Amino acid sequence: MNFINMQSSSLISRPYQYLLAFGFIALVTGFLFTLRDALDTALVALLYLIPLGLITAYWGLGPGVTSALTTFLTFNYFFIQPYYRLAVHRPTDVVILVIFLIVAIVISQLVGRMQAGLSAATAREREATLLYELSTALAGLHDRQTIASILAKQVQSVSQGEAVELQITGPQPFVFRLTEINPPARAPEWVVPIQMARGSLGEIRLWRATPAITSSEKRLLQTFASQGALALERARLAEAESRARVLEESDRLKSTLLSSVSHELRTPLSTIKAAASSLRSNDVHWDSAARPELIAAIDDEADHLNMLVGNLLDMSRIESGALKPKHEWNILPEIVGSVLKRMKHLAGEHRIQVDVPESLPLVPVDYVQMEQVLTNLVSNSIKYAPEKTVIQVKAGVESELLHVMVSNQGPQIPQEHLERIFDKFFRITAADRVTGTGLGLSICKGIIEAHGGRIWAENMPDGLAFHFTLPLIWEGVSPPKLPMDSENE
Amino acid sequence: MTNAPHILVVDDELQIQRAIRTILTEKGFKVTTASRGEEGLALAATTEPDIVILDLGLPDMDGVEVCTRLREWTQIPIIILSVRDSERDKVSALDKGADDYLTKPFGVEELLARVRVALRHSAGRQGTQSKIIKAGQITIDLAWHVVKRGDEEVKLTATEYKLLAYLAGNHGRVLTHQSILMNVWDPADANHTEYLRVYMRQLRKKLEDDPEQPQYILTEPGIGYRFIVDE
Repeated sequence: MNFINMQSSSLISRPYQYLLAFGFIALVTGFLFTLRDALDTALVALLYLIPLGLITAYWGLGPGVTSALTTFLTFNYFFIQPYYRLAVHRPTDVVILVIFLIVAIVISQLVGRMQAGLSAATAREREATLLYELSTALAGLHDRQTIASILAKQVQSVSQGEAVELQITGPQPFVFRLTEINPPARAPEWVVPIQMARGSLGEIRLWRATPAITSSEKRLLQTFASQGALALERARLAEAESRARVLEESDRLKSTLLSSVSHELRTPLSTIKAAASSLRSNDVHWDSAARPELIAAIDDEADHLNMLVGNLLDMSRIESGALKPKHEWNILPEIVGSVLKRMKHLAGEHRIQVDVPESLPLVPVDYVQMEQVLTNLVSNSIKYAPEKTVIQVKAGVESELLHVMVSNQGPQIPQEHLERIFDKFFRITAADRVTGTGLGLSICKGIIEAHGGRIWAENMPDGLAFHFTLPLIWEGVSPPKLPMDSENE
Repeated sequence: MTNAPHILVVDDELQIQRAIRTILTEKGFKVTTASRGEEGLALAATTEPDIVILDLGLPDMDGVEVCTRLREWTQIPIIILSVRDSERDKVSALDKGADDYLTKPFGVEELLARVRVALRHSAGRQGTQSKIIKAGQITIDLAWHVVKRGDEEVKLTATEYKLLAYLAGNHGRVLTHQSILMNVWDPADANHTEYLRVYMRQLRKKLEDDPEQPQYILTEPGIGYRFIVDE
């Protein structure tokens, strides 16, 4: 029995079809019986062929042939003399009966076969349509979850099962269900593996106790599974390709990093080497004025080298995700104060203006990391803004966010570079002109983002401003109000 | 120079050993060196140094372990000198009994300053602990619970005084957030660093000339605080 036939006429189950066929014949027999005296025997035989054709057309070959045999008997019994006996007296009646039997069976056979052929064609067409729909839906998808969801929906729509579940294996295995309701506790009625030549990619599980799953349904589900397998395989290949691209990119970045780092490391090292070797040789007399200068150069460059190594370590921590802020409720003015104290000797002729109100709430940040962000932003301003200009540090609260701005009166940055200055080793000026690591701003970005905040730069009418915002609420807790003791002694 | 202060340096890097020995000998200290933890522990027991300068990454055991084992029988000042610069490492060494922490690379001036503080501290520990502590224009009388700034008495709340007394009583040492919270507040409050931040700020406002850039109560970022007295 064909799957589609089941679909279209399976509203009436098989035994019921026979019963209906018998009923129909009984009805027609009854009708003809009332007109028996008016009708010729040959005409009755002809009229009997109508219900036979209809029955075969609607319910197929089985009920058709059975009805043919039944009508043969009823025809003989009710309409051929002697009535009410299965006997024939007139030779013409014998001929009519025999011809009727032959014609009835031939019609049933023909109509039935045609019907079967037609429904098979319809079924094939429907299968083709379903497959086409599935493959169009799956085309171009690279996300395994979406593929699984579409596949499950299609399986469900053709099978009308109680539950459909997809188990997808692979690098990140998962189980997909159409609804969140758990499938029945019993084993699934039908399991189709989703398979490629190189191995299994998962399986489709279908629960449907009644009606039992037919072989044609199974065949269709298997075709679905292989379509799904193709789509999953495509997704895997696309993923592998993009991974390869990322690797290539990171490889390229690493070699840029290496060349940049070795340049940055060698510069202070060569100063140290030059200064130390000339101090060692007898070129520099012990009371020469060059002596303290060389010694200071060694000291400064050693500090610079140390900072560089520290920055590289921080950067690698940020990139590997190992930088986990230790959130504590801190007082921002205290952090700003401690940063500015340490930067005093670097500030030179720059004037640093602080506008960080005492009334700010406590901020949930990592003290050391926040110090580093502010240090990097201020030192960047000191480095690029001309002497005797003003550097401003400003903080305030805007809609549950802490907003901090560090602005300077230094050169502006072309609009297209405003975002890129937070990239590693990005420099607008030639690397040789400014000392530094080229990592400061990207470290700031890493830290701020690890805190769940945002950092950006903006050109001001008279310079450049760095902004960052940080959430004031941490783990759902607002800044605490503290129990201060009220006694005054 | 029989009574020259004796310093034990435990560090496995010979270059560092050489540098520290040269610097400290030059400054009139007697220096003993060890490259391994066990060796350091043995030397500490037999030579009775006044200060131990300890590296954390030793070949046979972790410096923190050496710290713990030293603290089982002696209170001599321990200065950690390590390349490990994460706050966690520092805090764990300080909590295990180290007095101070210096990260490599270090400046000589800084090392000498820490050594001087440690020496004063061990002297104070051996003799009678001074009841009056002076830092700049601030005088703290631990016996009478009186704090003066110049000639003027500073009004402190009970908690503020307790906090200041704990800091001043351990002057020169790095006190971790946890140890301050546990001693001044309650062990149950050990994680409420925000208490500490707020009270410290109050205290600085009452004692420091510029509370943003304190001179006496210094912040050790991410670790704790240190109270500085006159040299």
